[in-house]
Order: sequence, then C-alpha cells, then structure tokens
Amino acid sequence: MISRSFFSAGVLLALLAPVALPQATSNPSALLKQSSIVFSGTVSQLGASSFSGVPPSSQTIVVRIDSILKKPPAVSLKKGDNVTVEVKDPSSFQEGTRATFYTDGWIFGSGVAVKELGHDFLPQEPAASGTVAAEKALGQAQQQLSDQDLQARAASADFVVIGRVTDVHRWSIPKSAAARYPTSEHSADWHEAVLQIQSTLKGPKVKKNKMVVRFPLSRDVAWVKAPKFEKQQQGIFFLKKDQVSGDPKAKLGGYQVDVYTCLKPGDWLPLSDEARVRSLLKK
Amino acid sequence: MRVLDAPRKCFLLLTVFLLLADSSHVGGQSAPNTRTALAPARAKVVNLIPASLSGETNQDSEPFLAVQTANPQIMVASAFTPNPFSGTGNAPLYVSEDGGSTWVLTAITPVQRMTCDITHAMPTGENHPRGDLHAGTLACAASITLDESETNDVSSSAVMNVQSTRTNVDQPFVRALGISNADHIYVGVNDFNQPNGHTATVDVSLDGGATYKSSSIEVRNTAGQDGPSVRPAVAADNTVYAAFFGWRKFNGTTATSDVVVVRDDAGATGPNPFQALKDPSDKLPGRLVVKGISIPWSNAPTLGQERIGSTLSIAVDPNNSSIVYVGWADHGNKGDIYTLHVRRSTDRGLTWSNRDLLHTTISNATNIALAVATNGVVGLLYQQLSSGRWVTHLVQSRDAFASVQDTILATVPANAPAQQFLPYLGDYDYLLAVGNEFRGVFCANNTPDFANFPSGVTYQRAADFATKTLTDGSGNPVAISIDPFYFSVPVLP
Repeated sequence: MISRSFFSAGVLLALLAPVALPQATSNPSALLKQSSIVFSGTVSQLGASSFSGVPPSSQTIVVRIDSILKKPPAVSLKKGDNVTVEVKDPSSFQEGTRATFYTDGWIFGSGVAVKELGHDFLPQEPAASGTVAAEKALGQAQQQLSDQDLQARAASADFVVIGRVTDVHRWSIPKSAAARYPTSEHSADWHEAVLQIQSTLKGPKVKKNKMVVRFPLSRDVAWVKAPKFEKQQQGIFFLKKDQVSGDPKAKLGGYQVDVYTCLKPGDWLPLSDEARVRSLLKK
Repeated sequence: MRVLDAPRKCFLLLTVFLLLADSSHVGGQSAPNTRTALAPARAKVVNLIPASLSGETNQDSEPFLAVQTANPQIMVASAFTPNPFSGTGNAPLYVSEDGGSTWVLTAITPVQRMTCDITHAMPTGENHPRGDLHAGTLACAASITLDESETNDVSSSAVMNVQSTRTNVDQPFVRALGISNADHIYVGVNDFNQPNGHTATVDVSLDGGATYKSSSIEVRNTAGQDGPSVRPAVAADNTVYAAFFGWRKFNGTTATSDVVVVRDDAGATGPNPFQALKDPSDKLPGRLVVKGISIPWSNAPTLGQERIGSTLSIAVDPNNSSIVYVGWADHGNKGDIYTLHVRRSTDRGLTWSNRDLLHTTISNATNIALAVATNGVVGLLYQQLSSGRWVTHLVQSRDAFASVQDTILATVPANAPAQQFLPYLGDYDYLLAVGNEFRGVFCANNTPDFANFPSGVTYQRAADFATKTLTDGSGNPVAISIDPFYFSVPVLP
C-alpha cells in the first residue's frame, strides 16, 4: 500500500519537516511522478461527494482546497474549490483534517473527483511558509523527474546521437512487402531521414557516420505526435532499432543498413539541450 | 451554463430557415425545383466538455454515442479526447445519467491516453442498469491494435474488460442487440488479416463479447482491400445488415468502388452468415447498390481542413426490417469535392432506388449518419462545407425525403481553429433514434457564439457568450478548439 506520507520523508523532507506530521514512507519520487493532481486542503465532509456524477460512498470525502501544488493545465481547480477524494483508509480522516493529497484524476464534471495515491497530514492552521516551500520543492522534484525521464529515454535507446538531417525522402515500400501496408486513414506515410552524425553520445561507431531514421509523416491522430524531420534539421536523436515499420533495413550509399526510429515526443531534442543531455548521460 | 433565450432562438431559427430555404445548400441532380420543407425543430445541443476541464484546448474530434436501450437517460459518448490528467492513464469516455443535460468524463477505456477509433453500443439484455457498454477501440500505439471490451456499469471507475484483442484492423464500428444473458454484438472492421483482399469483415459475438468470430463479407475481387468503413445495422427481429465499400481499383488518390449491402436474417448465428442477399448480376452474396463509383482518397486537408475518403451509413426501420437506407459520399459532379447520396430499399435490400432520394444529393459534405425512428421517420445527419463554414444539418422526413425538415445544429467557421491532426471533425459522427427523439453527436468549433448554434446551445465549460470567449474557470482566456456536441431533436410526429 502506497498510502501515507512520503512527502516529508522524501522530496520535501528538509523543507517541510518542521511543520508536517510524518507518516509511513514509500517511494516518494515514484509517487510524486504518479500523482497528476497534488493539493493541500481541509476535509469538510466524510462519506460524501462534491458534485453529481460521483457516487458518494464510505470511501469518498470532500476536501476544500487550500493550495494547488500540481495539476494539468486543462483542469480547472483553484483555492476554495471542493474536491471529492476517494481515499484508501477513510478512518484516517475527520472533518477538519488538513493534509496534502497526492492523487490521480477520476471523474471530471461540474467538479473534480480524484483517487488518493497518498497523503501527508498537515497542522490544523495553514502555514503559508510551508505551502510556499512545498511548491518550491515540488518544482525541484519535477525537474528531477524530468531528468529521470530523460535518463530512462537514453537508457532505452540503442543510440543517442547529435546530428544533422542531410536528406528526406518517402520510403519506397518494396513490392514484395506491399501487401503488409494496406491503405488506411492511419497509414504512417513512412519517410526516411538520412542523418549525418556529428557526435555519438551512446552507441557504437556507425559506418561513415550516417544513419537512416524512418519516421511517419502522417498527421493522422495515430502518428501526429511522432517527431517529423526536415532537411538540415539538427538536434539530439534518441534512436531505437526499427521494430515498427515492418522492414528494418534500408540502402545507404550502396550498403544495406539497419533502420532506426525516433517515434515518441521527446525522442528528438534541440541542440539547446545538449549540455543537459551530456551531463545526464555521464551520471 | 448558457442557454439561448427563447425569443432569440426563434428569431435565429426562422432566419436560418428562410436563408437556407432559398439557398442551394442541397445540390445535385435530385434536388427539386420546389423544395418541400417543414419548419425546423427545436433542438437541445450540449457541449460535452465538463466545467472542470474548461482549460482544455484539444481537438476532440470523431464523436460517437451510445444510448442505454432500457433507460435512455444513460448515455456514453466518445471522441479523440485524451486522458486529462495522465499521459499513461486510460483514455476517457463521456457519461450522462440525465438524458444528455450534463456529462462527466471518466477514464475507463482499456486504451492508454487516447483512443484512435472508438465506437460503442449499450444493449440491455444482461440487465445491468448502467451497462452493458460494448466498445471497439483502436490503440494509437506503434501497431494499431483493436480491443473489443465491455463494462457492466459505465459509472464504475473500473477499467473496461478487454474480451478480444487483435492487430492489423481498421475502423471498428460496434452495433449490438440485447439478448437475455448474451448480448449479440456486431463489429464492422476492415480486417487486413483476411485473405485475398476480402477485408470487409464483421466480428460477431453471440455471447456478450466472451467470444468473437470474424466473417469476411466480401466475395468479389478487390484492389487488394476494401474501403475503411464497414457498417452493420441491426433490427429488433434479428435482421442484420452491413454496408461496405468494395474497392475494385485504387490508384492512391481515387478508389473505384461498389457500395455493397449484405444481410443476415438470423442475427448471424449460422455457420455462413451474411449470405442472404445476392446480386442479380453475378449471383454472388452482397447486393451492389451502386457500381464503380469514384471516391476521392485524401489523407490531407481537402474538404476545408478535413480529409476525405470513406463516409458511409446504413439504417434499418426498427419496426419493419424490410425498409433500409444506405448513404455514402463519392466524387460527385464537376466542381464538387465530395457529394453525399442516399438510396432506399423497401424489400430487404433486394432492390434499391435507382437514383438518389429527393433532397439527398448533397455537395461538399461528409460524416453522413442515418437513423430510422419507430414511426418510420428517417433522420439524416451530415456536415457540409458551405461558404467557409462547417454547417451541421439534421434532416428528417416522413416520406423518404420527398419532403424534409432541416434543422441546423451548428454553423461555424471552417478555417478556425487550425487543425492539430487528422481527422479535423472526424471520419464519422453518429445519429440514433430513441423513442420520439433523434439523438446524436457531432464536432465543431467551440466558439461560444449563439449565432453559431441556431437551435440553441448549452455549454458546461466556462464560456462568456457576451464576449464570445472561453475561459479556464478562473477568468483566464482559453483558445478555441474542436469540441464534441450532443444533440436531441424531436422526431417528426
């Protein structure tokens, strides 16, 4: 069970230790990453819900928000709003209990309902300095998580290279494989970018410092978020051996070479991120 | 919540009706010189985006709707709406428990973040008050994966139970018939796993989704495959029709296609389903409603900011399964990009009207959806690009479109917002007949402007109709985007 607090013992230990009431600690970094909505608030009702569309139960409580620490931009939440929280252990809460709630979204209607991933009890009186400190520490923690994501991205890549696109052309699907590429609105419209490698940050040396990166040019909903490349485009490429297009080989300069892909948002970064990427890869 | 006041609504309705009655928005060879028209109906139109997501700016396109048969207050809608709080959480559905007046978003589909295609149906044979919802979803992962899944309670936070999964298929389209303890489910798919290019397929489950059997409904030579849209329609007497585009040639930009209708008279329970209709020209299963039409295929903005290539609908009279309508789009006349057509059969698909029904040759339009009410009135939903605007029509007729009532649900600028991806509005929308109502969903530019919604509109999300701006609920402006809209219109008596 991940519940109970990790905030004080973990990410915000130093900042909140004077005011928070420590609870059992799990993996604070993982939990913070897992939480999409984090807020401090005061329990106003037990066994209730804050808007129609959310069935009240013994597991649901209503919390009045004192401060928002983390939320997606699209979600409308502000100080003073009432939120329904499906808690793990209702017996931990009474009306008037103050806590920081680590939650995930649940139901969005005229209000917001969330599911508790963990909580951290706070003193009865709001401590403005504690809230400010928490927000600052949360920002630091999110940066750490972003770095962790980048490290994970690099770890799962076969190559991390700095390079420049020297050519882009539509991939000519071999006739023998054409049957595997039916016509659909979701067709990828595969193109190939020839990449001149300027620096290899991860991976073995590549013959003639050139690679083929296959990418979907389609703007269909299935592919729109995949990075698209243009001639002369430079940057940092996180590359995986092609397991998607269905034919992982290409010809380059008269040689048959492996094809790589770069499909997720963030698998290509601008050169402005070079120092950060190099630093993280050294860790 | 903003609702158009009655006098203003009446004035706008009248104005739009008069303008349209005198315009050529219905074009083509079958439009009569004197259009027989009935006064537009009053309508309920609701923007589905909840108040608590007022800050969202997604392109929530390609809507779909399911209505619980036994309790039509319960409805589920879907669109290309991403999980609002997590990039790895489940893709959401919109749920209403009050007949469409209010909607909540809950993340219960089995697909991560956002579905590609999604359709669904809610038969009630298994006696679940807020179910059973049967869905067909495509996952937008590296490979396109179809999940056929179910929930017994759409208000539960439990993720839908995946009953069947497979890859290499396109555009699942779910219809269902409530059967005690074992709903019958029919999922039209373009199944690229079928041999010989006979890709038009219906997945049939006769046990509530526990098992599925895939049946190709194409028997003729194809251009290596059929078109994406495969549409089943189910009547209460167990008659199941399905329509598809039998692609005979394809050159990358144009498909030469037949519009084919198959039928099964026993709910597809036999060993060789969908063989009941044979075409007199070749004695093969599948009636050719039209042959060799030219359908433009463009996976790029072509009709305004929308792509084109496969819009198709079929509807059967719920009380007389001999009466069936089919509608599609093809190249149309010179100067038209994409033209809708509707034909009808009154003898269970054996013969079809040899030309478009009156008022149903509609130029520069897409997203056709047909439905037939219990009193035999037929409804036609479509979206037409007209004078730089996307105009969403619901046309009703008591007499197979000889006379029509045309209700404009929305008329919005076509050049804004800018497309985020394709499809811009959707490769389909949807229309259902529920008692004395036509209910449906469409997508449109969400600018809060009463002039854009001549039949009135209600927004759940924060919107200032005086300044025609959206806000995030805290007063900060939010950019316009594409939103899904639910509507209900009374069926002509």
